[in-house]
Amino acid sequence: MRKTLTVAWREFRHTAMTKAFLFGAVVMPILMMGLFIIVIPLMKTTEDPLKGTVIVLGPEDVVTVLQSKISEEDNSLQEIMDQLPEIIAQDPLVGALRPKKLETDLQIIVAPEEDIDILKDQVRNGDYLGLIIVPEEIVQTEQSDVRLEVFIAKSFSPKHTDILTSLTSKSVVDARLRRLGHDPDAIKQLTRRPRTIATRLSDDGTEAKDNEIARKIIPMAFMMLLWIATFTSGNYLLTTTIEEKGNKVMEVLLSAISPIQLLGGKILGQAGVSAVILCMYGSAAFAGLLSFALVDLIPFSHLVLFAVYFVIAYFMIATIMAAIGSAVSELSDAQSLMGPAMLILIIPFALWPIISDQPNGMIATIASLTPPLIPFIMIIRVTASTEMVATWQIMLSIGIGFASVLAMVWMCARIFRIGILMQGKPPSLLQLVLWIKQG
Amino acid sequence: MTTAIELQHISKSFGDTKAVQNLDLEIPQGSMCGFLGPNGAGKSTTIRMIMSIIHADSGSINVLGTNALNAKDRIGYLPEERGVYRKMKVCKFIEYIANLKGMYGPSLRKIIPDWLERIELPNVENKKCEELSKGMQQKVQFLAAVIHEPELIILDEPFSGLDPVNARVIGKVINDLHKEGRTILFSTHILYQAEQICDRIIMIDQGTKVLDGSISSIQEQFDPRVVQVEPVNKSISFDSIEGVEHSTPIEQSNKVNLRIREDATPTDVLQRVVAYTPVISAQLARPTLDEIFIEQVARNRGADAADAVRMEFENA
Repeated sequence: MRKTLTVAWREFRHTAMTKAFLFGAVVMPILMMGLFIIVIPLMKTTEDPLKGTVIVLGPEDVVTVLQSKISEEDNSLQEIMDQLPEIIAQDPLVGALRPKKLETDLQIIVAPEEDIDILKDQVRNGDYLGLIIVPEEIVQTEQSDVRLEVFIAKSFSPKHTDILTSLTSKSVVDARLRRLGHDPDAIKQLTRRPRTIATRLSDDGTEAKDNEIARKIIPMAFMMLLWIATFTSGNYLLTTTIEEKGNKVMEVLLSAISPIQLLGGKILGQAGVSAVILCMYGSAAFAGLLSFALVDLIPFSHLVLFAVYFVIAYFMIATIMAAIGSAVSELSDAQSLMGPAMLILIIPFALWPIISDQPNGMIATIASLTPPLIPFIMIIRVTASTEMVATWQIMLSIGIGFASVLAMVWMCARIFRIGILMQGKPPSLLQLVLWIKQG
Repeated sequence: MTTAIELQHISKSFGDTKAVQNLDLEIPQGSMCGFLGPNGAGKSTTIRMIMSIIHADSGSINVLGTNALNAKDRIGYLPEERGVYRKMKVCKFIEYIANLKGMYGPSLRKIIPDWLERIELPNVENKKCEELSKGMQQKVQFLAAVIHEPELIILDEPFSGLDPVNARVIGKVINDLHKEGRTILFSTHILYQAEQICDRIIMIDQGTKVLDGSISSIQEQFDPRVVQVEPVNKSISFDSIEGVEHSTPIEQSNKVNLRIREDATPTDVLQRVVAYTPVISAQLARPTLDEIFIEQVARNRGADAADAVRMEFENA
C-alpha cells in the first residue's frame, strides 16, 4: 500500500503543484469568488457624476419634461427587475443594479439662439456639455423619419451619452402623451406586468414556492461541477500515463511495482486532484449562491448524494482515461479512442433540458440507471426534482454505480497491464476487448 | 551454490512470433552472467519475464527463491528502454524510484550525492533530468536501478548509448557490485563486452538457448578454426591459400584472421601460410564469443543465417 501511496503522491504533486494547475484550478475559482465580493463596491464607485449644462433646441414641453426626468430615478431596469424571482431580486448584487437616482449636477436649458453651427462651436469649446436638437415633428404623434440629434464633446463618456439620449427619448414620448391629454406616469403604472408566484401543493399538506432557478440552473451547475472535476483530472490521468509511456519510464516503474499498484496509485493521486478542483469550483459556486442568497435551495442531503455520485463519476472517468492512456503512445492517438467515450458521456448535456423539466419521467429514470451516465443524470434528477426521487431508485443507482466502477476498474486493469508496454499503432476498440479477455 | 534465477521450460509468443521457446536457465548467486544474442534473439523478453513485467505462456520462473513480484525490492533492473521523468530533479527521481523499491528515510538523501560522485556525475542532484545529456540520464537511471543495494542486478544493454569513458565508469561500478557479492545478469548484443567482464555466459538465438557455461569452458569446447597472422608484407592476400575460407583484417592492427575451411586442419593451414610468405607471427587464434556464436548459428540454422549474424555483429 505504501508504494501505491508513493505513486499517488507523485501523481498529485506532479499535477496539482504546477503553475498551470494553480492558475486553472485554484486562481480562477478564487478570482470568480473575488468577483462576487468586489463587484458590488466596484459597481458603486465607478460611476462619475454627470456635471454641466446641456442646451436643448426644441419644443418647450420636451425641455420641461427632460428637466424633471433628470432629477428622477432611472427606471429603465425596473421592468427587468420586476420579472426576476423574489429571491434574486433581494440579492445585494442585483441590488447594485437596482435603479437609483442619477448622480448629476446637470442643467437643462433652452438654447440661447437658433444657429446650430454657433451652438456646436460652443459645445466644442466647452461652454456647454452637449446640444440636443428635438425637431417639432418628432413630438407629433404621426410617424416621422426625423431623428433626435445629440451633439457632445469628444471626451463625453459613452455611459453619459446613453443617459442623455435615453432621457431625451423618454421625454419626447412623455411630451407626446401629455399633448394628447394623458398622464405618462399613470400609463406606466397601468402597463406594468404584475408579479406571479407559483406554489406547489404537496400531498402531505405542505406548500412550497416553485423556483425556476432551483429547477434549471442548480441541476446544471451540479452536473457541470461533476464534469469539470472528473474530466479535468481524468484528462491529467490520460496525459501523465501517455507521458510515462513516451518517457520510457514505465518499465522502470514496473520493475519496482506491479501494474495494479501503479494504476491504483495514479487513480488515487488524480482523485486528490479532482477533489481539489471540486472544492475550488464548488467554493466559487457556493460564493455565488451566497451572493444570490440561494444557499437554502440546496438541502444537505443533496450535498451528501453529490459526494457519493462524485466518487462514482470520478472512478468511471478515471478508469476510462487510464485505459485509453495506457493503450496509446501519443496524445493524438488517444483522440480516436476518446471519441466513442465522449459521445456517450456527452449525453447528460443533451438530456439536461428534458431531465430538469421531467426529472421523474421515463427517460430520466432509465438514463439515471444506465452506466456510465448514472452519476451525471442522477444528480440532475435529484436536484431538479420538486419531489424527492424515489429512495429505491437512488439506492439502485448507487448500487449499479459502484458495481459498474468495480467492473470498469477490473477491465481497465487488464487493458492497463498490456497497454503500458505496447508501442506504435494504437489498438482498435476490438483489440481493447481482446486485451480485456487476455489480460 | 544457490540459484539466483531459475527458468524452466519458458515459452513466450507474441501473436505468431515465438519470442522465447522452451528456455531453461540457471544463474548461480554471486555470478556475473552475460546474457548474449543478436537483436531480436529474445533477451529483453526473457528479462521482462524474469522481472514479471510480462508473463510466460508456459514454464516456471524462480527468482531469489520466489517470483519477481515478491522479490522486486531485492532486484535492481535497468531496462533496455531508458527513461526518466524529464521535469523531475535528479535527486527526486532517484529518491522516487528508491521509495518504490522500499527504501525511505533521510539516509537515502545522504547517499544520493555519494552515489552520483561514484558514477562521476557530481553536483547534478538539483538539476532537472531534461537538463542532462542522454548519457548522463542513462547513468542516473543506472543509479536508480542499484541505489537500493539489491541482491540481484539485471541490466539490459547497460553500455548501449554510452561513450567509452562512461562505459568504463559504469563497468567499474558493475564490477565493484559483483565483488560485493551481488548477482549480476546483463544482456548485450556486443559480445566482446561480455567476454571482458563476465565469468559466465548464456547465448540465445531466436528464443532458444545455444550456449551456457563459463567463458573458458565454452572456448575450450570450440575447435579454433582461425589462424591469426601478422605478415611482413601488409598488402598480401591469403585467400588463395588452400584450406583458407576467407580472411578478415583485424582493425587497428597489421594482423589478419584466416578462417579455416571445414575440410582443412589448422596445422596444415599454419604450415602453408609460413611457406607462402614471410610472417612476423602466426598462431591459432582463441575463438571470440562472436565467432563461437556465429558457429553455433551456422550449426543450428545454416550458413546464410550465420552470415546475417556476422553482418549484424560487424555493424554493432
